[in-house]
Amino acid sequence: MVIRAMFTKKNYLRYLSHLDLMRLFQRCFNRSQIPIKYSEGFNPHPKFSIAHPLSLGIESEGEFMEIDLAEEISIEDFIDKMNYSLPKDIQIVKAKYVDGDESVTKLISYAFYEIKLLISKETEIENIENITREWLKNDEILITRYRKKGKNKILVDENIKPLIGNVVVKGFDDHNFLVINALFKVGEKGNLKPMDFIGAMNRDLKLDIDMDLVYIKRLNLFAEENGKLYSPM
Amino acid sequence: MIDKQKLDKILKKVEKPARYIGMEQNSVQKDLEEMYVKFAFSFPDVYEVGMSHLGMHILYNLINNEDDFACERVFAPWVDMEEEMRDIGLPLFTLESKEEVINFDILGFTLQYEMSYTNILNILDLSNIPLLSKDRDENYPIIIAGGPCAYNPEPLADFIDFFVIGEGEEVVLEVLNLYKEHKANYIKDIFLEDVAKIEGIYVPKFYDVSYNDDGTLKSMKANRKGIKEKIKKRIIKNIDTMFSPEKMIVPYIETVHDRVSMELFRGCTHGCRFCQAGMIYRPIREKSVDRLMELADKLVESTGYENISLSSLSSCDYTNLRILISMLMDKYEDRKVGVSLPSLRLDSFSIDVLKEIEKVRKTGLTFAPEAGSQRLRDVINKGVSEEDLINAVSYAFKEGWSRIKLYFMIGLPTETDEDVLGIKDLAYLVRDLFFNRPKEERLGNFSVSASASCFVPKPFTPFQWVGQNSVDEFMRKIYLVKNSIKDNKVKFNYHDATLSYLEAIFARGDRKLSKLLLKAWEKGCKYDGWSEYFKYDLWIEAMEETDTDGEFYALRDRDTQELFPWDFIDIGVSKKYLLREYKKAMAGETTNDCRLGCTGCGIPDCVMRGESVGN
Repeated sequence: MVIRAMFTKKNYLRYLSHLDLMRLFQRCFNRSQIPIKYSEGFNPHPKFSIAHPLSLGIESEGEFMEIDLAEEISIEDFIDKMNYSLPKDIQIVKAKYVDGDESVTKLISYAFYEIKLLISKETEIENIENITREWLKNDEILITRYRKKGKNKILVDENIKPLIGNVVVKGFDDHNFLVINALFKVGEKGNLKPMDFIGAMNRDLKLDIDMDLVYIKRLNLFAEENGKLYSPM
Repeated sequence: MIDKQKLDKILKKVEKPARYIGMEQNSVQKDLEEMYVKFAFSFPDVYEVGMSHLGMHILYNLINNEDDFACERVFAPWVDMEEEMRDIGLPLFTLESKEEVINFDILGFTLQYEMSYTNILNILDLSNIPLLSKDRDENYPIIIAGGPCAYNPEPLADFIDFFVIGEGEEVVLEVLNLYKEHKANYIKDIFLEDVAKIEGIYVPKFYDVSYNDDGTLKSMKANRKGIKEKIKKRIIKNIDTMFSPEKMIVPYIETVHDRVSMELFRGCTHGCRFCQAGMIYRPIREKSVDRLMELADKLVESTGYENISLSSLSSCDYTNLRILISMLMDKYEDRKVGVSLPSLRLDSFSIDVLKEIEKVRKTGLTFAPEAGSQRLRDVINKGVSEEDLINAVSYAFKEGWSRIKLYFMIGLPTETDEDVLGIKDLAYLVRDLFFNRPKEERLGNFSVSASASCFVPKPFTPFQWVGQNSVDEFMRKIYLVKNSIKDNKVKFNYHDATLSYLEAIFARGDRKLSKLLLKAWEKGCKYDGWSEYFKYDLWIEAMEETDTDGEFYALRDRDTQELFPWDFIDIGVSKKYLLREYKKAMAGETTNDCRLGCTGCGIPDCVMRGESVGN
């Protein structure tokens, strides 16, 4: 029996690493006595996985995990028990039983972000919208990043244009942060990190972004079928 | 509250930012505005180390259980974080409310090892609090300290307003309640005079010291009326009924001890002559099995930890250990909660217990013979023999263990080269015990490692009169062992002798050392306990610039008539007893475990004494 659950990761808990998060869930299974399945062998560990872990410092409204259970419990019970022992900034939002044929990690191919950043260049929001739209019409937006080559890491140029689904400049918020919504590819078939995108945007559009103070929140993760996006929930 | 945007900016740049965010399971956040007393508790080392300290969990819960008080944590920021904080101008803050440390009423440090002292100064500085007690008026928090190193508080006398000597569970609340009374009209000096009346409280500025021409202490006298000449350590009479936490904060990041920690008992009856803990925590007092089972239940429930560690100075001495372990195993086996024992003796009983708790995983076994020869083990009163080691190790091999660690000290009193080479002999003996077994019975991948630390004489031990070996002598002995080992199955590790030298200076130092500490910190010393940050050359410079003779403190054999800087503290065990033990040590005579009969250490109201008198 596999439960698929959607959960949040907010505020300061965005600084938990993937391993820390795994450990946190493991203790929550213990505390709330969720009948999770354990692997066989000398060092049994609970069977659960988190899809496409967030980079450190990114918040989320919708992360996905799958938990292999040894016996069935009701979904309400699962959510109640887990949320009781989870911290308030990491909570289960939804959960359902799935057949477990295809893992949620494999299903997901897009991530939807809200990005807030400070720009020091004085400019109208319309102008930012325009130059962003024009910039995104390019067939090629290159970034350089490290790639593993055998044992070594080498610098390679990569075109991120095919990894960008959609970008919408929303406007300025009350604290004068520019708010952007963006859909990027995630997973094995292509993966774009929001900070790489922001770096390229800052470089090409000369916005003078304060790169130390970019707030990123993952709003949702999506699967794709025949060109249409849908939630794995 | 601190500027959170500054914090956001730097958290992304540092290693393990979760060290600085708080918000863990079972942490307590109160509205600080509503509190009578705001107490900041500091373990002056990095988060992962501090969070593994049981004492912090006890005091944190004890204080936060009171409606009028709040206790929040502050650790030493790691070097990268400190740099970012100084760059951006962010003062040090507590993990719970992200409140500046300077806005607390009291800042308390726990002194677990001498080499954390520079971190204390660094924490004060990062909090924008003046380092010297005399420079802090009513606008600053009161700075206090306790823990094992407070048994010789003098090297910190210039920095700390007052020390808490002994066990903290009762006295901390007495201090906080007194502060609450003073708060409306708080005048530092008047509060200090009042707090000095509480048993176990030592206010350094109320004492004048004078020195003899040779630099030794001549006198230490109270300089005000109503100030006690002797400070008695605080002892909890009944540890079974005393406050014990039912919750522990569960860190998000991996710490040194990621598990439930339960204290079986305080004190120790072995009387090893090098061991300070064995003397200062007397008398021995046990918790009952019922109480421990009740606590285990609550702690496992509230933390979700998968391991319960049974802690104490010598856990195999717990009277009902077998019963306790089988009850814990019965109760938690299904829930995959394991039990572990951190300290083991060299006997088959210990290994039997271990066999029971480590059913699946047989990791390495650690034994501490402490010295390489029987003669020297008698000198230090470590009651284990070569035969014990042979029995224990043979039994362990039979049961499937294959990796053995042996702990030793180098530089013990009366030590000869022959004794030192005994370290190699014991390691070789362990190797032979493994390979002399029939081939088909040799289980696992064998290794033995011998680790040697450099002996640091501590106050309130029978060796408080003894001079430490010089760094050169330590190194000569270390290489003597190292060069004698020519088998790659036998590993030899040793500690940094220069670090042990500094530790020895501060362990038995006087208040003149405050200047050295300040100078060393000014030169950039911090995190001295971490080899990558320990800067011996800076310490040497600081000694030269402050005219401090390190050898006077560390290497000198002390006269039995000498007045020590810590003699004003009454730990219950008498100086006469320590001296008697010292003399017996020099004569190679051993002293029995005091459960076999009172040895007359002087501790009042001791159950052991009661029994022996009854006999």
